[in-house]
Amino acid sequence: MPMKGRYPIRRTLEYLQKGDIVFKNTVKIMTVNYNTHGELSDGARKFVFFNIPQIQYKNPWVQVMMFKNVTPAPFLKFYLDDGDQVLVDAEGKDHKDISQHVKKILGKSEEVLQAEELARMVHSNPANFGPKKYCLRECMCEVEGQVPCPGLIPLPNEMRGKYKSQMKGTEV
Amino acid sequence: MQFTLFDTSSETFIMSVKSVSVHAKWIVGKVIGTKMQKTAKVRVTRLVLDQYLLKYYNKRKTYFAHDPLEQCTVGDVVLLKALPERRAKHVTHELAEIVYKVGNVIDPLTGKQVAGSLFRETLTDSMENPAGSLTEKLQELNISATSEILQKPSEV
Repeated sequence: MPMKGRYPIRRTLEYLQKGDIVFKNTVKIMTVNYNTHGELSDGARKFVFFNIPQIQYKNPWVQVMMFKNVTPAPFLKFYLDDGDQVLVDAEGKDHKDISQHVKKILGKSEEVLQAEELARMVHSNPANFGPKKYCLRECMCEVEGQVPCPGLIPLPNEMRGKYKSQMKGTEV
Repeated sequence: MQFTLFDTSSETFIMSVKSVSVHAKWIVGKVIGTKMQKTAKVRVTRLVLDQYLLKYYNKRKTYFAHDPLEQCTVGDVVLLKALPERRAKHVTHELAEIVYKVGNVIDPLTGKQVAGSLFRETLTDSMENPAGSLTEKLQELNISATSEILQKPSEV
């Protein structure tokens, strides 16, 4: 059963997670102005269609706004934290060129991304047990090869304190 | 609520008090109401992912912005800046800049007035100093008529 819509691959988690562009911390707002008709806006239209979901997925705290048919020429505008504004012309450009240009000027570089990932890995130790939010496992019973959870399968009598105390009582 | 932060770029400790009243420091939105004195009601849309469809939809939120000069009209696209302290019960932002004024959009690439996908050419050439140009033209005509009266018939 195929997915609904044109290019439904855009609506898969794998596609969203493959987004390249992670903005620097100063970028707060991204605005895309484009036109619905005309060949010059074609690259911008494709950029909005294919790349905006990826960008928004990777940058959940950046406000992305689209404006249609406001100006004759398509462009992107970024509003940074200090009040600076960056204008990127998108007239006649291909959507891949636009995304690469944006990544070059306002995206975090590969080294920064890898350093952040290392920091995250260092911060979270997979050997810890705890709540699902912070650790991988909550209890030893979840690990294969260990004693299963007594809530599901009753423990053998040798390991039950109640049985042991009963036996001690009857013996002595 | 106070906590220390280490700023890696400048390598200094920053004492940040919970002074910013809202999480969003800069927002862009559309003005939907100006009936309040010196306050604009702004609708801000953000893209929110629908968990099942995995598609982004616009989610609206209204903010109230302080506009001391009452320069906003309904329909303007406006950039708001978060106020350091909450000004009133609901007013948390102030007007930083009108990005696109309704009916008078200026294209940031060329700097000219624009309407949709066309340029609006203002009628400046014909309206510049009509009285001044007419008198000057008359004087020019007189001079030319007197000088060329023998040579050519004067053209009016």
